Amino acid sequence: MPTTQTFAEVFESRGISRRDFLKFCSFTSVSLGLAPSMLPKVVEAMEKKPRLPVIWLHGLECTCCTESFIRSSHPMTADLVLNMISLDYDETLNAAAGHQLEEIRKKIMKDYNGKYILAVEGNIPTKDNGVYCMIGGESFLNIVKETAAGAAAVIAWGACASFGCVQNAHPNPTGAVPVSEIIKDKPIVKVPGCPPIAEVMTGVITHFHTFGTLPELDRLGRPKAFYGTRIHDKCYRRAFYDAGMFVHAFDEESTRKGWCLYKMGCKGPTTYNSCSKIQWNAGTSFPIGSGHPCIGCSEPGFWDKGPFYTRLAEVSFLGTDTTADKIGVVAVGAAAAGAAAHAAVTAVKKQKAGNDEKK
Amino acid sequence: MSRIIEEIYVWRLPVRLYHWINALCIVVLSTTGMYIAWPLMSAPVGEAALHHSMALWRYFHYVVAFIFIGNFLYRMYYALLVNDQYARFGGFRPWSPEWWGVPFKEQVASYLFLREDEPNYVGHNPVAALAHFVFIFCGSVFMIVTGLAMYGENNPGGFTETWFGWALPLLGGSYGLRYAHHLVAWIFPFYVIVHLYAVFRHDIVDRTSVTSSIITGFKHKVEDEASV
Ligand code: HEM
Ligand code: SF4
Repeated sequence: MPTTQTFAEVFESRGISRRDFLKFCSFTSVSLGLAPSMLPKVVEAMEKKPRLPVIWLHGLECTCCTESFIRSSHPMTADLVLNMISLDYDETLNAAAGHQLEEIRKKIMKDYNGKYILAVEGNIPTKDNGVYCMIGGESFLNIVKETAAGAAAVIAWGACASFGCVQNAHPNPTGAVPVSEIIKDKPIVKVPGCPPIAEVMTGVITHFHTFGTLPELDRLGRPKAFYGTRIHDKCYRRAFYDAGMFVHAFDEESTRKGWCLYKMGCKGPTTYNSCSKIQWNAGTSFPIGSGHPCIGCSEPGFWDKGPFYTRLAEVSFLGTDTTADKIGVVAVGAAAAGAAAHAAVTAVKKQKAGNDEKK
Repeated sequence: MSRIIEEIYVWRLPVRLYHWINALCIVVLSTTGMYIAWPLMSAPVGEAALHHSMALWRYFHYVVAFIFIGNFLYRMYYALLVNDQYARFGGFRPWSPEWWGVPFKEQVASYLFLREDEPNYVGHNPVAALAHFVFIFCGSVFMIVTGLAMYGENNPGGFTETWFGWALPLLGGSYGLRYAHHLVAWIFPFYVIVHLYAVFRHDIVDRTSVTSSIITGFKHKVEDEASV
């Protein structure tokens, strides 16, 4: 697409009214937590700023992040974002393929050195020199290193690139790691989730496009605007939690009544994300809304905190069925048994000492 | 029977008060904490908004947690700044190899039945001091830090989150933190058993009245002859 095309032309060609465009801008600035006075800035950036070159790499992943992204709530959101940025390299979305596409990547890296955004979707397998993910004859490990070198910032899409997802769950056979383990010298924003919410993804890009910086991050490197609070703190079932009204089994009356899923292993109390706020698919629903406990997909190592339907995870290296409580019960039992044995020996010794005295 | 030859005032009132407040807090925190993990009571009948069963268990956990923290801080003040030879930290110096020397080895040997006589201490014996340090000092600090980190979670950017939230990434995020708090909670029942056993045993073996000393403050020295 020629860069000279104005947004007005883009909208027109796609049948998007200016009203829709402004609606998108205000929605995004609100969800980013920006002051209303910032709205013109967002609009202006979207209309006038040169398009942001983005290289979107796919490693060990399932493409659910991309799938989520292209299904953002307003049909034209992804459209807009895809126009705002110049997504010149994306194995999934690009028309070009093979060597042709690899050439485009090299060209962007040269032409926009230090200016482009590197978006990574997926884990990076490191074992055996990264042979477990090869693209165009090159290991993904090397591609990420090479592409990150000239990037202005890195976006880690999804649980994979942020913390590592199912690929790097115990025992992690391919030595898969998140981007932050490989790239240490670039600003990284982690946008975890399996997948992340589409509006969150477009929000992060819009923020960078408007301000030229990454949004404010929390302690785990996630944008505070979207990962600032726990699911539990905004969950519409919270009243049932506080009242102690819990679902105990999925085929119970309580499930139909929509009580709290805490005892079904809901990870809402320990998961930071916007699901209970923005929700999914244009605000249609979210897992808890559909009666399923939150599995905590935007938290580090969520696959190793299973099973999903119990509160207390198994300690994976001690084998299945070993939870914190099992360890505790065994330890306390051992203390009691040890004390009893020690007492018995003490008694025998005392007895003996007494007998010796008497002799 | 051996005769009491001396009464020594070992545990002054603040120490005894600390001990019992701490004991009570640990019992309540363990029970309410386990209840938070496994809410057993059956669901109340009627509107959710009118009931607070779970909320109250959590509330009690926090109220007692803050008493526990205050009590702990008071004990730290007492150990560091008040000149009470049996309650201060002065003698406990695990960083010096000397501290691990003869008295410590003797005490371990005695617990392992490798020695005939029982070493006797007016205050804590070195093994007891070490156990208190690991379980009560380190254990409490861990529970307080992880507890406050969780307590701050519902108000990100607030005071508690700002000062204690750093524990989250250290323990692998919110879930790891909660799990660690839950797992380490078990050291308290573990320690209570070991502690009670050790105290009762000492009382029977060396008759220093260590059990009642935490109520009265007095330990007794007895004639060093074996009973006849
Ligand atoms: C002897 C000390 C303590 C014990 C034995 C203890 C025990 C527990 C246990 C077993 C849990 C449940 C964890 C789970 O959900 O699996 C818990 C939760 C919790 N504890 Fe403690 N705790 C102690 C001290 C503290 C302190 C000092 C605080 C500080 C405020 C604290 C704050 C919390 C919080 C915030 C929760 C999470 C409750 C929720 O989010 O619903 N705890 N505790
Ligand atoms: S369903 Fe989950 S997130 Fe919602 S109140 Fe219950 S425990 Fe919290």
